[in-house]
Amino acid sequence: MTDPFVQTRNLTKTFYEESRGEVRAVDGVDLTCSSGEIFGLLGANGAGKTTTLRMLSTVLRPTSGEAWVMGHEVRKDPERVRGNLGFYSASTALYPKITARETLRFFAQVNRFPRERIESRIEDLIDRFGIRDFADSRVEKLSSGMKQKVSIARTVAHDPPVLIFDEPTVALDVLNAIELRQIIAALRDEGKAILFSTHIMSEAEQLCDRIAIIHQGRILAVGTLDELREATGHHYLEEIFVHFARVRDPEEAELESLRRDRP
Amino acid sequence: MRLTVPIRAIFGLEIRTLLRDPRTLLISVVLPIVLIPAILIAGDWIESREARASEALNFRVAVDGDRADFARSLLLRVDDGTRGVEETGPTSRFQVVDLERPREALTDGRIDVVLQALDFDTWIRGVEDGSVDPGPVEPTAELEGAPRFQILFHSDRTSSREGAQNLRRPLLDVREVRRDSILLASGFPVPTDEVLAVESINVAPPEAMEGALLGRFLTLILLGLMTLGGSAIATDTLAGEKERGTLNTLLTSAARRQEIITGKLLAIMAVAFAIALIQILNLWLFLGLEIVDVGGALAVRIPPEAALLLLVLYLPAVALVSGVLLLTSAYARSYKEAQLYLTPVLLALVLPAALPMLPGISLQSAILLVPIANLGVAVRDLLMGDIHLPSIMTAWLVTALAASWVTRRCVLAIQDENLLLGDRSQEEHTGGEGLFRRQVLVWILVLWGVKILWDFNIPVQDLRWASLLGVGLVFGLFPLVVIRRFRLEPRKALALRMPHPGVWAGVLLGVPAGILTVLGVFQLVDTVVPVPTEMMESLGQAMTPEAIPIWQLLIFVALIPGITEELTFRGVVLYGLRRRFGAVGLALMVGLIFGIFHFSLFRIPTTATLGVILTAVTLLTGSIFPAMVWHILNNALAVLASRDMLPGIDAEWLSEGVGWGWSVGGLLALLVAFAIIWRFRTPYPEVGPPRVRETVRG
Repeated sequence: MTDPFVQTRNLTKTFYEESRGEVRAVDGVDLTCSSGEIFGLLGANGAGKTTTLRMLSTVLRPTSGEAWVMGHEVRKDPERVRGNLGFYSASTALYPKITARETLRFFAQVNRFPRERIESRIEDLIDRFGIRDFADSRVEKLSSGMKQKVSIARTVAHDPPVLIFDEPTVALDVLNAIELRQIIAALRDEGKAILFSTHIMSEAEQLCDRIAIIHQGRILAVGTLDELREATGHHYLEEIFVHFARVRDPEEAELESLRRDRP
Repeated sequence: MRLTVPIRAIFGLEIRTLLRDPRTLLISVVLPIVLIPAILIAGDWIESREARASEALNFRVAVDGDRADFARSLLLRVDDGTRGVEETGPTSRFQVVDLERPREALTDGRIDVVLQALDFDTWIRGVEDGSVDPGPVEPTAELEGAPRFQILFHSDRTSSREGAQNLRRPLLDVREVRRDSILLASGFPVPTDEVLAVESINVAPPEAMEGALLGRFLTLILLGLMTLGGSAIATDTLAGEKERGTLNTLLTSAARRQEIITGKLLAIMAVAFAIALIQILNLWLFLGLEIVDVGGALAVRIPPEAALLLLVLYLPAVALVSGVLLLTSAYARSYKEAQLYLTPVLLALVLPAALPMLPGISLQSAILLVPIANLGVAVRDLLMGDIHLPSIMTAWLVTALAASWVTRRCVLAIQDENLLLGDRSQEEHTGGEGLFRRQVLVWILVLWGVKILWDFNIPVQDLRWASLLGVGLVFGLFPLVVIRRFRLEPRKALALRMPHPGVWAGVLLGVPAGILTVLGVFQLVDTVVPVPTEMMESLGQAMTPEAIPIWQLLIFVALIPGITEELTFRGVVLYGLRRRFGAVGLALMVGLIFGIFHFSLFRIPTTATLGVILTAVTLLTGSIFPAMVWHILNNALAVLASRDMLPGIDAEWLSEGVGWGWSVGGLLALLVAFAIIWRFRTPYPEVGPPRVRETVRG
């Protein structure tokens, strides 16, 4: 088997909060993601999904542990790490004053895509994502659906082998969300390694090849949907998620069983 | 440094964004371009209008007093004499109005000036029974017999103010003529002017004069314009990107942090430089082509090679200004916050540029180590033809180093997880102490504004009122307002805790030691920026006027400032800032803030030093009381010393310094005092930033 495109070992991030003191937002996470795979991070808000992905994109520094993207370690070689990945989330906005085409050119340039191939790459992206009609309009004038297309195109502008989608559908309407999922699946089929975080169970069920259930900063279980079903005896991902979350909180599980036992 | 593709891409993006945003374009480019011509034209217009208005200057004068007839006869001569004789001012005529109650008419505005002519005896009697204003001159034996002319006017009305001015000069002239005629009549051989002729002749070459004038202002004008121009794009760039969410996108790209900062810095520099260039062209166009006539004072010829040298000299200053603007933007979390920080930043940048305007500053002094100020002085010397290459090169290097340090800070700032992702929405809701900590800088700024407005607009002659209102009211009210507004706990916000009793020994030793140390700092400053002696003397008089009894001085100069200033600075200001810096940074910062509230430039270093000492004491003891007692004793000792009431202490020390031996001794004693306080320390709680303040998100 070839080396995974993304790998983490005991990845940990602690924050200090005045009200709560030291908080382990991510606690010893191990994960891998290989070419042609969508790896889902499933967890509630505050579970540590975004923090994990931000460490992988080198925006946050791990407190301890290691993480590699295409063999480059996030702390030792952050530029190479970022050059090999595209990061998409609801909070990665576009520059309003430049056109769609200029946006793609800008991100190809800052990501050091070979200069002589930039223009042809832009044309390819414009065709592929259906941007042609508004390629020369300023981003601020585009509808949210159009912006979404430009946003995905800029994420892959430099053709990175690894893509990170951090709750990408969170602010989208149903149709745009479906379209985005189709695009992500297509990118997987091209051989990209895709990390996908969500708190929507159905989305993870549909899209992810492997799912990690993350709760309070820890990965509680990893596997394909079938493996997770087998391990828990539950069919729906929602039940599977609740199952693992209970195991994690023994006190809560005990309370729950007490409640159940009561006549 | 190599201009990599990402740097060029980021630079291009910034410039493109600027050119496509009408608002930013207006603020940063159009406004500054229009501003100078507008000011020049407006100035020109006002001047010509004033000239026209005063061409037929006609003042209504009422004459009063027992020598009124004598005054009227003089006035007739004044009216004849001023026409054609006074070449500098416009011609003025005085229309004598006869009135029953001239003073009432003056108050009503029916007349402009009252000329009150009194016999000496009448004057003395008048002063005694209060019907006549004593005026500035005390009655003495020499004045006996001389009639006294008083010009009464209302300074709030332009016509009255100018009437008084216009009347005074010719009356003095008439007096001179009259004196000469008396002298000549009694046998003095020549008119008094001929006894000793005095003339001043300027022999400086015209280039040096123009250079001196331009050199003093050039740095200030250019830096001011560049800062204004660069600030719009700077706020938009990092702070604006944080707000819009594009910084997150950019930070996940392969561009290095250094490249992002370099690209943005170059964009700000380009805009700042372009604006400066346009302004110079603008000035040249308007002044050189005489579209606006400013009397030739600013029409300066600069040869091309000197202009090029100037450009090279200013380069690190431009980089530093741009870097500071970018850093401000990096520290702000939103566009609005960045704009908020800009005012103090602009001031801090422009102040050193104003230093070359002060007389007696030489480049071969410690000023060489002050970025921007050193280049300003270098440029001034250069324009005056005084070129000292090693100094100029050092000045260039120092500013360049400062610029590179600031750039480095920018790179660190966009790597700082707190600044990048800090989510403060929770604090926003809980309000109270957390909210105050966020807004404390704004409140300090507001207080500063209030204090400035107060001090410069409400002239209080009497020191007692000045102390009671300008210090006691302002600094006493501020903590109360803040505590009420943010619902703070007074005991914590004002550090109302009792320190360890042992601390007081340190305070008693520390006060005199602190005074000696501060005087040493004053001497140090004096060697860098020589403080005019008159200024110190007038300051000393203002602080401890002879007319006020000593016990009152102790109340108004020592007790009131000691209590209220401590409540503000070592109370709420320190409390609000305590999380932003470590203990050392906090002491320096609060000290500096304390310093800049004493507006006179020469007092800032000394008061800031005292401020640092007082803050350090508060931080070590966790209590405001030692600093309060220290402050009161400090001011009290200074008052007593200035009145020569301390045995063995020379009042001259306060204005002339104590000599280095005493200062160093004072510093050592201060260290001992602090060692004592350290021994009994009960540190101020919750100092320094919590390691990471990010709210965890999934």
